[in-house]
Amino acid sequence: MFSKLLRRSHLYLALFFTPWLVMYTLSTLVMNHRAYFIEKHGRGPVPMLRERELAYHGSFAPDTPPRDIARQILASVDLDGAHSVNRRPDGAIVINRQDLVAPRRLTYTPAESKLVIEKMEPRANAFLERFHRRRGYATGYWLDTLWAVSVDLVIAAMIFWVVSGLWMWWELKPTRRPGLLSVAGGLALFGFYLVTI
Amino acid sequence: MTISHFCRRLHLYLGLALLPWFLMYGVSSIPFAHGQFFQKLDEARGVPLWQLRSERPYDAPVPENREALLGFGRKLLKELGIEGPNFSVYRANRTTLNVGSYSFLKSTRVVYSLDRKKLTVEDRRFRFDQLLTGMHARGGFERDGFLSKSWGVMVDLVCAAFLIWIGTGLYLWWGLPGHHGWGAVALATGTAVFLLFTLRL
Repeated sequence: MFSKLLRRSHLYLALFFTPWLVMYTLSTLVMNHRAYFIEKHGRGPVPMLRERELAYHGSFAPDTPPRDIARQILASVDLDGAHSVNRRPDGAIVINRQDLVAPRRLTYTPAESKLVIEKMEPRANAFLERFHRRRGYATGYWLDTLWAVSVDLVIAAMIFWVVSGLWMWWELKPTRRPGLLSVAGGLALFGFYLVTI
Repeated sequence: MTISHFCRRLHLYLGLALLPWFLMYGVSSIPFAHGQFFQKLDEARGVPLWQLRSERPYDAPVPENREALLGFGRKLLKELGIEGPNFSVYRANRTTLNVGSYSFLKSTRVVYSLDRKKLTVEDRRFRFDQLLTGMHARGGFERDGFLSKSWGVMVDLVCAAFLIWIGTGLYLWWGLPGHHGWGAVALATGTAVFLLFTLRL
């Protein structure tokens, strides 16, 4: 019964988390071959392309924290979500909206009552890398928190697949010897890398 | 040997051979996902991360060219008797040059203050979470040396293995007729949730 439960959990967890694993695998390949993409696109950040410019007549008290200004601006242009914000020395508020598919930069210049919205040039490698690096607990947005929980669950699932995989292997008596050789070979190679590089 | 049998064995032995990588990538994701927690935990110990090894006067022109800068960093480490499988050179600002020598287990940095004409050598205290995150983040083929480049090959192999596990896993699931329905529900639900995250995050 325990063995059956372990097998089913191994299977169904893997089926549910298949998209996460595909994403983490493809993004790892992209990051491992970053030099290829640098050669293709050049070094430096992905360019931002001007999407639109509009008049923004928000009134903020001089001591309003940039994060409050950012939330109001994002809500008013229907772009609310995870972001970072800073105030430039010239007083402009720069908001980086961390949209996964299309990150945007919003620059609000109070002196001119102007809001410029720029969108990141779409690139598959940058999209995958953003996905891989996405964290969520600190943003204050519930969807980001849920994403962070899903990442924790993938981590737990990975550890569970190791433990359940070992258990299932040990139950298959004919595979014990070649399996031990595989484990020993892998451990030896991993240990070698650990102490040499 | 049937295809199903081959897939089972491939799924199993690949998993066993690459088990240390699989476990490392899984466990090391914890300090990545909860970095602040581990940072606070370490800060509570009150022991500085970088410990001073030596300080000495130094005066040498720093080249501007990237290749020459790498050569300068290599020479500087040799002069100081610092050996390591990997090194990095980084011009932090106009007056500071950072040269690092690092491996999975050890890390040393040399800070050359051009305005004060001084070299500071510091060793990083061992932290298990940083060992894990260091292994997790290591990749690429830009570093010098056969072994460092071969680690990049290993990362590619692990990625290929992940795709093989997914492919063989799906094949094996489809070979279990009693599980088509609930398996499809799990796969479809996971895909739908993932798509929601992709489009809404």
